[in-house]
Amino acid sequence: MKVKVKSWTAVATWRWIANDDNCGICRTAFDGCCPDCKMPGDDCPLVWGQCSHVFHMHCILKWLNSQQVHQLCPMCRQEWKFKE
Amino acid sequence: MPLSSKEKIASCKTTLEANTRKRRASDNNHLHTKRARDDLGTGEHRQSEAKNMGEATPKRANFSALNPSNNGFNSRSSPLVNNKPGTSKKLVIKNFKVKPVLPANYQQQTWDRLKEAVQAIHKSRPIKYSLEELYQAVENMCSHKMSASLYDQLKEVCEQHVASQTGQFTSEMTDSLTYLKQLNTCWQDHCRQMIMIRSIFLFLDRTYVLQNSLVSSLWDMGLDLFRSHIISNRTVQNRTVEGLLMLIESERTGDVVDHSLLKSLLRMLSDLQIYEEAFEKRFLEATQMLYGAEGQRLVHEREVPEYLTHVDKRLEEESQRILHYLDHTTRKPLIACVEKQLLEDHIGTILQKGLDRLLEANRVDDLTLLYRLLQRTKNGLHDLCQYFSAFIKKTGTTIVIDSEKDKTMVQELLDFKEKLDNILQTCFAKNEKFSVSLKDSFENFINKRLNKPAELVAKYVDNKLRAGNKEATEEELERLLDKIMVLFRFIHGKDVFEAFYKKDLAKRLLVGKSASVDAEKSMLSKLKQECGGAFTSKLEGMFKDMELSKDIMFAFKQHMQHQCHATVMDLSVNILTMGYWPTYKPLEIHLPSEMVNLQEQFKRFYLDKHSGRKLQWQPSLGHCLVKGQFREEGSSVKELQVSLYQTLVLLLFNEGDNYSLEEIAQATNIEDSELRRTLQSLACGKARVIVKLPKGREIEDGDKFLFANEFKHKLFRIKINQVQMKETVEEQVTTQERVFQDRQYQIDAAIVRIMKMRKSLSHNLLVSELYNQLRFPVKPSDLKKRIESLIDRDYMERDKDNPNQYHYVA
Ligand SMILES: [Zn+2]
Ligand SMILES: [Zn+2]
Ligand SMILES: [Zn+2]
Repeated sequence: MKVKVKSWTAVATWRWIANDDNCGICRTAFDGCCPDCKMPGDDCPLVWGQCSHVFHMHCILKWLNSQQVHQLCPMCRQEWKFKE
Repeated sequence: MPLSSKEKIASCKTTLEANTRKRRASDNNHLHTKRARDDLGTGEHRQSEAKNMGEATPKRANFSALNPSNNGFNSRSSPLVNNKPGTSKKLVIKNFKVKPVLPANYQQQTWDRLKEAVQAIHKSRPIKYSLEELYQAVENMCSHKMSASLYDQLKEVCEQHVASQTGQFTSEMTDSLTYLKQLNTCWQDHCRQMIMIRSIFLFLDRTYVLQNSLVSSLWDMGLDLFRSHIISNRTVQNRTVEGLLMLIESERTGDVVDHSLLKSLLRMLSDLQIYEEAFEKRFLEATQMLYGAEGQRLVHEREVPEYLTHVDKRLEEESQRILHYLDHTTRKPLIACVEKQLLEDHIGTILQKGLDRLLEANRVDDLTLLYRLLQRTKNGLHDLCQYFSAFIKKTGTTIVIDSEKDKTMVQELLDFKEKLDNILQTCFAKNEKFSVSLKDSFENFINKRLNKPAELVAKYVDNKLRAGNKEATEEELERLLDKIMVLFRFIHGKDVFEAFYKKDLAKRLLVGKSASVDAEKSMLSKLKQECGGAFTSKLEGMFKDMELSKDIMFAFKQHMQHQCHATVMDLSVNILTMGYWPTYKPLEIHLPSEMVNLQEQFKRFYLDKHSGRKLQWQPSLGHCLVKGQFREEGSSVKELQVSLYQTLVLLLFNEGDNYSLEEIAQATNIEDSELRRTLQSLACGKARVIVKLPKGREIEDGDKFLFANEFKHKLFRIKINQVQMKETVEEQVTTQERVFQDRQYQIDAAIVRIMKMRKSLSHNLLVSELYNQLRFPVKPSDLKKRIESLIDRDYMERDKDNPNQYHYVA
């Protein structure tokens, strides 16, 4: 064995799976953040519903808080449940 | 009861002391009204005694000798004696009606004596009578209403004398200096004589003159006589003034002249109140002629610093002249005249001829002098400031515009700025206008070349923040960053800076090349302060990613230990949030299976914790610490710090002894140019851990590569740098392209934002709003293109009737 790697510093970039879509609530692309935030990424995460719709977490929370009776997905009107 | 003058005078003697003192006391106020000067008079020095004398002494008869009660002795004290309480003898005098009768020839006799004394004074002979006698005689005459005739008689005697002096000054005389000296002697004598005469006739001066506003004081009468008989004579006045002007001119050409003579004669002219009319006018004309010609000649003959020194010397000489002999009222017109002739008329020539060279050569002292001199003129500083600004723009442009000098541009700009700051501070008195002009000029020239200065400033910062830069201490680095920020402030295309800065920062963070975290953070906060949080939020995000990655790696290591995986190598991963970092091309390369496995383990671990994410490996940014075993039987083990690509090439030699370029390409799947650079760094650099056949600097098709079994190096741990050059050229182009693309998006977004808000807007208003919002330089034609494009894409539309009016399309 002439050459052996002792340590390796690798680099990876991450993005949302839904990166190319827009948030159905604020209409901003998912590679950007919601209107209340300044920075995309960890600071303004995305969340998925069991209906498979995805939103900025801040957007859907605001939406759900504004709903009086039933908490429905703004896209498909099914009951909103966070995907585990 | 007639008394002879002699007796009368004798009888006075006892009172003399008291009288004299009293007289002196009241002298004080009176003397101030005279034009007599300290140096000519003597009476003024008696002031101290006066304090002892009460002013309240009652007025008494001056002819004390006529007082009947006292044997001819003055009894000044008698009223006091009479008032003494308890005095048995009461003497009451009522209606003392008998007037004293003077001898018929009293006036003539007395005047004769006085005249004799005056003439003795005029001839500088000793006076027969004591001054006290004479004084008393004057007092007596005045008290007998002889004042007016006494005054006239005295004036006549003086006039005769002064008139007799005229002749010596009107006759031919060759030497003007002798002439001036003679006139001065005559004047000095006159003053001295008038002081003596006045002190004898003081009582006259004090009573008669004061009571008659039309009568001049004795001193002024003397001046009048001197003026009308001597100095008003055309010939005398001409010769005198010409003589004075000649003396001054010869002093101006460097001769030593008699200051006291000049001073005395000029004071004479002032005292005679003809200084301004007879002398000053001609003096200023002569000055203007002399310096007018001198300025014209020297400003061309001499170098600017020499000329300035000369002007400074001239100004100093002239103000000395004022101190030494000219009347102080001449100061303003004289200095103004010299300033105009030597400076004001030549400002343009001086600045044009000399300023650039002085600034170039950093001639601090000369510049200080220049500023100090120009400060005296009306428009000098304004002009200096304009030339200063022109110099900065000209010099700055040559630094910025020449692409051959790109390597040194930033350092040169910093040096240039420092030099100018120093000049501003030490030479130009921190003048606020100059300071503003300096900034404006910098901003002007630095933006004459688009983008490049921004890019180079970013590179310069990278250079200073990169590890291995040991040339500066923390404090020095901090100061340097501050200076860089000053340059940065002038640059319009801040987005270009950001793009390059970000690219370099990424390298420093990912390859562990940053010299100091403190310095990085400090630079970041400076940028934030300058451009606001939006500008730096992504840069801050990069630092945050680095922190988060550390946490994740800590958790991953614990996870691996838990899983009891045999760790073949130590893996750490930097996980970057896309959008914060520069964009990297995704590359698929071939990794050894153990590395692939490790990578997969991490990916599973990460995505498990962060759902909804995608992970993309960036092999071009990876690096490794590799153990290399050279010389088969010896124990020459080295640790190599290498990139992932270099590692992949080296690992091949575990499997075989030699590989062609093509074989390596196939085995690693590294992109061709990247691979050639990698091989070049391993086989053609300073530490050659593989051998290229045939030898040569460039990697050619068909080249073969062997493991360098004979590799030797004095160090145990060796860092093998990637060959950088070509990479940066490519990077530079892509970075710039990305900036331009980003600008287009920003323009589009701004147009839509404005139109959405305003609904309808004319072209011009839209463009001006855009210029307000956009933070980078952009041409109107580019804006027009973006507007067209948005119309095509139905974001907005043209007004049907007016093509210069746009409407927002919802
Ligand atoms: Zn949203
Ligand atoms: Zn948010
Ligand atoms: Zn839904």
